[in-house]
Amino acid sequence: MADLTTKYLGLTLRNPIIIASSGLTDSFEKIAELERNGAGAVVLKSLFEEQIILEAEHNLREAGKNSMIYDEYSETLDYIDIHIREKELGKYLDIIKKAKKELSIPVIASVNCVSDIGWTGFARQIEKAGADAMELNISIMPFDFEKGCDEIEQKYYKILQKVKKEINIPVAVKISPYFTNLGKIILNLEKEGANGVVLFNRFTSPDIDVENLKLTVSELYSTPSDMINSLRWVAILANRLKIDIAATTGIHDGKAIVKQILAGASAVQVASSIYIKGISHITEMSKYLEDWMDKKGYNYIDQFKGKLSSNKSSRPEIYERLQFMKYFSKIK
Amino acid sequence: MNDIKEYLKEERNKEWRVELRKSMKAKERTDRVRVHMPEADPIVRNKNSEEVNKGLVDKIAVSEAGRCLDCANPTCIDGCPVGINIPKFVKQIEAGDFNGAASTLKETNALPAVCGRVCPQEKQCEASCFYTVSLKKDPVAIGHLERFAADFERDNGHMSVPVVDKPNGIKIGVVGSGPAGLACASDMAKWGYDVTVFEALHELGGVLKYGIPEFRLPNYIVDVEIDIMKKMGVKFKKNFIIGKTLSFDDLRKDGFKAFFIGSGAGNPSFMNIPGENYNNIFSSNEYLTRVNLMNAANDEFDTPVISGKNVAVIGGGNTAMDSVRTAKRLGAERAMIVYRRSQEEMPARVEEVKHAIEEEVEFMNLHNPVEYFADEKGRVNKMRVQKMELGEPDASGRRRPIPMENSEFDIDVDTVIVSVGVSPNPLIPSVLPDLKISKWSTIIVDPETMQSSIEDMFAGGDIVRGGATVILAMGDGRKAAAGMHKYVSEKVKVK
Repeated sequence: MADLTTKYLGLTLRNPIIIASSGLTDSFEKIAELERNGAGAVVLKSLFEEQIILEAEHNLREAGKNSMIYDEYSETLDYIDIHIREKELGKYLDIIKKAKKELSIPVIASVNCVSDIGWTGFARQIEKAGADAMELNISIMPFDFEKGCDEIEQKYYKILQKVKKEINIPVAVKISPYFTNLGKIILNLEKEGANGVVLFNRFTSPDIDVENLKLTVSELYSTPSDMINSLRWVAILANRLKIDIAATTGIHDGKAIVKQILAGASAVQVASSIYIKGISHITEMSKYLEDWMDKKGYNYIDQFKGKLSSNKSSRPEIYERLQFMKYFSKIK
Repeated sequence: MNDIKEYLKEERNKEWRVELRKSMKAKERTDRVRVHMPEADPIVRNKNSEEVNKGLVDKIAVSEAGRCLDCANPTCIDGCPVGINIPKFVKQIEAGDFNGAASTLKETNALPAVCGRVCPQEKQCEASCFYTVSLKKDPVAIGHLERFAADFERDNGHMSVPVVDKPNGIKIGVVGSGPAGLACASDMAKWGYDVTVFEALHELGGVLKYGIPEFRLPNYIVDVEIDIMKKMGVKFKKNFIIGKTLSFDDLRKDGFKAFFIGSGAGNPSFMNIPGENYNNIFSSNEYLTRVNLMNAANDEFDTPVISGKNVAVIGGGNTAMDSVRTAKRLGAERAMIVYRRSQEEMPARVEEVKHAIEEEVEFMNLHNPVEYFADEKGRVNKMRVQKMELGEPDASGRRRPIPMENSEFDIDVDTVIVSVGVSPNPLIPSVLPDLKISKWSTIIVDPETMQSSIEDMFAGGDIVRGGATVILAMGDGRKAAAGMHKYVSEKVKVK
């Protein structure tokens, strides 16, 4: 019987299926359920920097409307964002502590940053609470058209540098594919000390309601076709990086997991497929992986990990173009 | 409401008031300049605990009282949370009836000597004064006059004890001997109830004693006011924690018919930044309690506080001002306020900030601590601060502080006092699972009656409002007393 054990960020996972940061991982009870159903690891639902700011704003507005709450010149409300941050962080740390006490799968904390300020204190407390690793979900949307690429990229490195300076547990960086020079960015993240990268973040999909003339959200869940980008880049980067790669977005079945590992991923992160198909789908996916390995005669993940990555070429764009040409112009 | 208006009109039309108004032309009154409160020399007072504000003398008080126009529509009363008959007591001062003024104050305010010192009148009665609203001039110094009348009565040994109704034998429990509890107990006692105030600490007065320093509110003044309440028949039990020493059910079995919860907001808050648990980093609650209540400044006592030479107080409210001025008095060479917004945005009273500046407190506005460092014995010795700039306004209307990148630098400190707010005392809610609590951990009450979700429990003050003011607490206590009185009366009638 195949051994599904894999190593990711120096952690030993019983299988490469990590439940991604989402509503599936926002409480101890849910994480326990995921462990019971075969998850290899979990990434906790992110602490959002913006959420804390929005929550503080909401709190101030509510206090202003409540005739009993003293909001005029209140010292407490003067620092409400700090208090909310503490409350949210406190709840977060409690989940980590309880999970580490009672469960055995690795627990990866996740922080969603839009700036490089204010997270170092969190990082230390998260480590102290017992998190096995930390995932920095960095999504700096380039809405400030005055800022150049370099300025935005430097923020990513700065966030990573600051966090790495504070903690000893492994740090993975989850990013989007929207960079001009993605490969270079990821290599630089490795240089700055990232222990792993997670490819890729998925943004909310906007849509327009033409009947009611308003902006809405579409495509709440990923689809299998969303996997293409991460598959491409995992394959391109796998043998150029010493650090681990976790593939995410669009991984909906066991076959997709096999593909990502063949491309070079150490692990995969899933969420949408669990939402759609239910928690038992974790076992279905790991069963597929196991059966496939048995069929192909692989005893260990490392035996086929990266087997189909673009390790031969020093010019990965050719790999990419060759695939294109092969498909569309029938060049053999 | 109409009753009160009628009452005020009747009082205003009394002969002595009419004559007093006629005795001086309005222009003569409005031409007078508002009195300036005499203050102790800042460089002398920042080394001792003597009261900063010295109080008005008789002649000056009479002159200031003469500025009051005795308006037909006294908007100043609307600004007072306990509804003091302001024109009446001010006119009594003008007429030389200082004891009369004190009695008038005590009709609605159990602690006039306290309120005259610590109320933010500039945001309350004085903000609603005709001078402020219509003439755009400095208001009548209502707060200073209130203090004057209360102090005169005390200093001349004529402390009046409010009249109390015949005892009705109905037991009422008040939890907490701070301003809310004292105000409630006072009113209930006046109506003949058998009132017991239960206080967890070894001293009565709550935040009046443990929070507000001697140089703003001498403890003996609080003690005098509480003595009056004892003469009214109010009983006090110290070192008594309701919920631990005895439960509410125990008290009900003992015959208590209703309770007022005024346990305050003494739960300190911290910023939870790295190093904040090093030695000599205090919450302002602990620091002030040690100094005000536990003689920490006196070497002969067992509850010391380190008299640091470089003391940083984090925060910008009244508690922060109290803490930094206390540190100065304990010998700090450098007593700093570190506040993340500008001075204009500080929540502290303008007078407190002014006094602090005079006392050579250093203000580091637009700065915020991000980390503390310590020596080999774990005692804080350095604080890393970050500069801030002001961004767009937040929901409070004040500009949001935004950290400036690469702006950190270190400051030597040996004591840090964190004064970033408080939250309600969690003890009572923790022993009453049926008690409805808000998202701010405050007890939810009916704003008209102050009744909680448990029918025989009323609440007010900081446990309902979060950290607020003494006068608001007293207003709550009075409102709750009215609510409890109605509730108990109806309950007894039904029986």
